[in-house]
Amino acid sequence: MIEVAGLKKKFKLTKDHKKNKTDNVDPREDKEFFHSVRDVSFQCNKGEVLGLLGPNGAGKTTTLRMISTALKPDEGSITISGHDIVKKPLVGRKSIGFLSGSTGLYGRLTVKENVEYFARLHGMSKKAVAARCDELFTLLDMHSFIDKRAENLSTGMKQKANIARAVVHHPDVVILDEPTTGLDIMTTQTVINFIRGLKEQGTPVIFSTHHLDEVALLCDRVAVINQGISCFDGTLDEFKQTGQSEELNQAFMNILTESRNV
Amino acid sequence: MFEVFKKELKELLRDRKTLIFVVALPVAIFPLLFAVMAFISSQAALEAEQEVHTYAIINGNYAQDFTDKVFYHKSFALYKGDETFNTVEDLTKAVKAGTIDMGIYLPSDAKQTLDDAKQSEWQVVYNDAKAINFLFDRVKELAKEYGDTLRTNKLLSFGVSEEQQAAIIEPIKVVKVDTADKRENLGEKIGGFIPYLLIPLVLMGATYPAIDLGAGEKERGTLETLLLTPITRTQLVLGKFVTLLASSIATTTITVLSMGVWISVAIAFVDLAVVKNAFSSLTVLDLGLIFVLLLPIAAIFSSLALAISIYARTFKEAQNYMAPLSMGVIFPIMVALMPNVELTSKTAFIPVTNVALAIKEIIKGTVDYTLVGLIFLATVIVAGALLAFCVKWFNKEDVLFR
Repeated sequence: MIEVAGLKKKFKLTKDHKKNKTDNVDPREDKEFFHSVRDVSFQCNKGEVLGLLGPNGAGKTTTLRMISTALKPDEGSITISGHDIVKKPLVGRKSIGFLSGSTGLYGRLTVKENVEYFARLHGMSKKAVAARCDELFTLLDMHSFIDKRAENLSTGMKQKANIARAVVHHPDVVILDEPTTGLDIMTTQTVINFIRGLKEQGTPVIFSTHHLDEVALLCDRVAVINQGISCFDGTLDEFKQTGQSEELNQAFMNILTESRNV
Repeated sequence: MFEVFKKELKELLRDRKTLIFVVALPVAIFPLLFAVMAFISSQAALEAEQEVHTYAIINGNYAQDFTDKVFYHKSFALYKGDETFNTVEDLTKAVKAGTIDMGIYLPSDAKQTLDDAKQSEWQVVYNDAKAINFLFDRVKELAKEYGDTLRTNKLLSFGVSEEQQAAIIEPIKVVKVDTADKRENLGEKIGGFIPYLLIPLVLMGATYPAIDLGAGEKERGTLETLLLTPITRTQLVLGKFVTLLASSIATTTITVLSMGVWISVAIAFVDLAVVKNAFSSLTVLDLGLIFVLLLPIAAIFSSLALAISIYARTFKEAQNYMAPLSMGVIFPIMVALMPNVELTSKTAFIPVTNVALAIKEIIKGTVDYTLVGLIFLATVIVAGALLAFCVKWFNKEDVLFR
């Protein structure tokens, strides 16, 4: 289980940003800082898939980066299976698998070398690395290209390699930041199948997306962020109810409108 | 840390461009340099030896001995065309038109002028902007010989013997007793040039792969995934730093070995007196010492390049930042080339300059080993401080996620 409570994160404004300020100021900006995440809370239980929604610039990526320990929150807590990963980021990193749409691979290494490298960085033994890699390569149907250099792969092959890299260490939680952005239908299906597989294994998955059809297809829970503040955290059914229809778009729009009024 | 180092090294060895910069360039640069040196010096000597310049002389009969000397000189050929020259203006026009290379105008009989207790002024017309300035020197030399003969004969006619004449013309003769041997002398002249060549190569060995290890990771989108593995930022920095250090040391090793091999080849097969005199007494120990001195320099450059690269957002931005770094390295090397800048207990603490000065001293054969120890210590301290800064920077979110 993963629990996120009262997350806050601000970034210092650059000189250029201050110079180019217009009258139409973002409410999250003050003189010195941009308050990217102001108050975000949600939870995701074992075997659940949580869809993290929000318009562009809502603070989804910053939130996911804090959960993945790449960024340190200014305030708030993140707990994975009872461990406070803000205080113990190294423990958190062992428990998290992270993948985003922009994640790259080492081009001059083969797919196998890429995946094995991350497995070894997670402290896995040689034997465990070999067994896990073989398992993942079979699961994702990758054996035909594991010896190819990553720079020579197609987008679909790259994303499969990225998935394998992200979960090679058996993470307790998997975080996916817009994992299907820019992918073709076949590759998107690979990602969807991968999320389904994780769900079946009981691994909690948090993924941000703009595709509400994916939310309908995969999610048990939904969290919505707008302008750095959580404005919804509940089950998929509860989310649908806010729209008073099966159309998730309506629910999403209603939540955003309500949050703006508040 | 070792895993990071192993992976980075593997990637580095698979990158052709890096291999060209780290291996091929240092191997090629020394033979190329010697080949160019040999070619230029031999060509210049050959051209100077073979080139014959057309000249015309006005009033040559006033100084027949001089006129004969010019006529029989191997570098000069008398103009045999139809044009006639009577004035300096005529000679100037002809030189400008390219009819002749040089014109000599003798206004009066030098012997008679000397008898009248006056100085005779001769004019040499030529194009000083062309690379044939030795024309004037050769004519001046011939005129001096002629003038000396006139003076000697005149003074002899006054009863002043040749010994007395020498004493009158040069009452005090200062004789140089040089304590510097040939190696020291030439080492002073070309010793400064070697660090000028070596140190930038060491820098190149670090900067080129550094761009890929920092900014390259950001641009590819691999840095974030790397930061999410359970290794500390210090281990990560050290892994990358050791890779750069290895690359820089590899460049240094290849450079010094290449220098040694090509100097030996040059001494054995090619008649390059300057190189032979300067390097014939350079021992394997000296080359080893140069190598050891370049190690902490490599560490400094590796830390600096990594810090810059990790700050940059993109490959291109990192390349832009590396250019001033190269300039910044050239400056302290140039300081070491300045006259009267010597290796002392003070200059031993100036990074880069100290190593450049020490290399010069090693080539001269006059190195003070206590100062070398001091340099090593000072450079290691600077390298350590820079590495600590690099680790600190790797922990800053606003640097990693600019």
